[in-house]
Amino acid sequence: MDNSFLYSKKLLLVDDKPELLKMVTAILMDEGFQRLVTAANMKEGFAAAKAEQPDLVILDVCLPDGDGFSLMRQIREWSDVPVIFLTARDEAADKLAGLGLGADDYIAKPFLPQEFLLRVYAVLRRCYKGDVAVLKLDSCTVDFSRAEVDKGGEILPLTAMEHRLLETLAKNEGRIVTVDTLCEALWGDNPFGYENSLNAHVRRIREKIEADPSKPVSLLTVKGLGYKLLARK
Amino acid sequence: MKAFGTYISKYLLSFFAFALILLLVNILAFALTFGGIVSREYGSTSPANMLEAVAADLSASGISEETEQELNRNQIWAMLLDAGGRCIWEVSLPEEIPTQYTIQDVAVFSKGYLQDYPVFVRNMDNGLLVLGYPKDSFMKLTGNYFPIRAIRLFPLFVTGILAIDILLLFLVYYFSKRKISKNTDPIMASIKTLSTGKPVDLSIRGELSEIADSVNQASQVLSRQNQARANWISGVSHDIRTPLSMIMGYAQRIAGDHGASGNIQQEAEIIRAQSAKIKDLVQDLNLVSQLEYEMQPLHKEPVRLSKLLRSCAADLLNAGIGEKHSIEVEISPEAETAVIECDARLISRAIGNLVQNSINHNPQGCNIILSLDCSSEDVSITVADNGVGMSAEKLRELEEKPHYMESTDERLDLRHGLGLLLVWQIVEAHGGIMKIVNGTCCGIKIVLIFTRKSLIYSNPGN
Repeated sequence: MDNSFLYSKKLLLVDDKPELLKMVTAILMDEGFQRLVTAANMKEGFAAAKAEQPDLVILDVCLPDGDGFSLMRQIREWSDVPVIFLTARDEAADKLAGLGLGADDYIAKPFLPQEFLLRVYAVLRRCYKGDVAVLKLDSCTVDFSRAEVDKGGEILPLTAMEHRLLETLAKNEGRIVTVDTLCEALWGDNPFGYENSLNAHVRRIREKIEADPSKPVSLLTVKGLGYKLLARK
Repeated sequence: MKAFGTYISKYLLSFFAFALILLLVNILAFALTFGGIVSREYGSTSPANMLEAVAADLSASGISEETEQELNRNQIWAMLLDAGGRCIWEVSLPEEIPTQYTIQDVAVFSKGYLQDYPVFVRNMDNGLLVLGYPKDSFMKLTGNYFPIRAIRLFPLFVTGILAIDILLLFLVYYFSKRKISKNTDPIMASIKTLSTGKPVDLSIRGELSEIADSVNQASQVLSRQNQARANWISGVSHDIRTPLSMIMGYAQRIAGDHGASGNIQQEAEIIRAQSAKIKDLVQDLNLVSQLEYEMQPLHKEPVRLSKLLRSCAADLLNAGIGEKHSIEVEISPEAETAVIECDARLISRAIGNLVQNSINHNPQGCNIILSLDCSSEDVSITVADNGVGMSAEKLRELEEKPHYMESTDERLDLRHGLGLLLVWQIVEAHGGIMKIVNGTCCGIKIVLIFTRKSLIYSNPGN
């Protein structure tokens, strides 16, 4: 999926280890992010969050002058900016505390750079999905803001269900999304016995987005698991 | 209490033997003390003997010199009263003793004392022979009559009293034993628990409270040590995480840096892959120690296993497992709705570890099948691969290997330990069992079985 629209986002990194900040900054810069702000402690972090108005905050839980949880609480008083915790503690209770506060994700150290980037993209896409209006697929373009598929000039409207299904897959572009997750996205908690309806929706979407719906190349079935949406290379 | 029953029956015989010995000792002591004095006093100078001797010796001229000396030696006085109550003969009669008696006087003194002298009488042809023994030498029972019934029942009374004594003794013995056993049973149970390394908290009052305190202290020491060990492992794993993140991060950057030579890129890739192994080890080690010392609370909630299994498989595939390996999921229709009470994070971790194991042991590639089945007794998750498998010998070794946390073997190696150990611990924490079997044709199959008890919903008809 095209992530370029995310590169203009401003990221604030708060961690007391300068070497780690340097490395994470390098990984993000390699990826194409330009606007990165760093802070070494809670006080600096709070000031930077206020002054720079970042689009995403990546916070260490252990800071020299307090913990990331309370910094997040302070920031939350005036901003709904998405927050990812990056921490060396992986105790379940900590994770629950972080997510319970309304953090968008919780990444335990040590992490692989790809994993870190995927999580950052996932949070950014989820929070700024309004920005991505258009998804280019192999044989068509999907315009989410207008709920339309443009297949070689032919405009096909998407139903609300198809829109939601395609959007869920698009947010996880290139990744397998299980039938359970899709059913939940369409029918809410504890959906059971909706697999047939899901198949029907997928079939109709394929008719709209695939050149040959019987040989799909964009919306793939992963047997026994779910589906995967592939963007145009 | 069953143990106490056998204890009592075992010692009942010895208890009765003890009671019998006690009785014999009492009788012996009585015979040696009271009986000894009585028989000594009842020797040749006993009233009966002396009366006999004097009566035999007594003639119209009195008694012989010999008998008189015998009387004097024993400070005994004697007199003979005729039918009118007059003293017609005497030996060493004290002055205060009268020489004339009425029939009432005779009736009174014959049963007891005369002027505090214990006296004994004998009927003679020519009168009444009276012997007076020194004052305070004999005690006479003046009221010496008992109902005949009482005398006849006397043996019965003695037996009854003895029986009651033995019963009371037994009850005292029984209750004291029971009290001890009541106090020692929890101590025994606690020591047993302690020997498995689990903490205990004993509360006992009374004389055994000191032992209970010691057991509690031992338990606290054990808990503190466990806590310290878990904290230590947690601390080390915490401190290793940040440096490891940087090694992994930079290694990956170098591996992907097109400016670097192919050789350097390859070597960086090796560093990255090896640090990923350390990462898994660090995470497993921490979780293993947390589970081992029960520091990790289980966040149990109803989980639909089919959904969990699919999401595990999707996560593993999304993270990228390489082209040589594939993962398939097979869920039986009965198991589709199975819901068990479990910690989803830990179960996912167990499945992830098993899949990772299969991948690590089969670098040439293999197909991994995750399946979920539900029978009337249990729910089972199976992770099977069609790879190289394991020799029967290796399999046995793995099963017999002591738990490495409890092993003191210095040659301990964890090459295939920690990942599986963690799975085993997670399953055990959920009250389930783990089975390792060789695959039907090839590869290895690991089955995690959870009992129906943890199963809270399933719809076999579906």
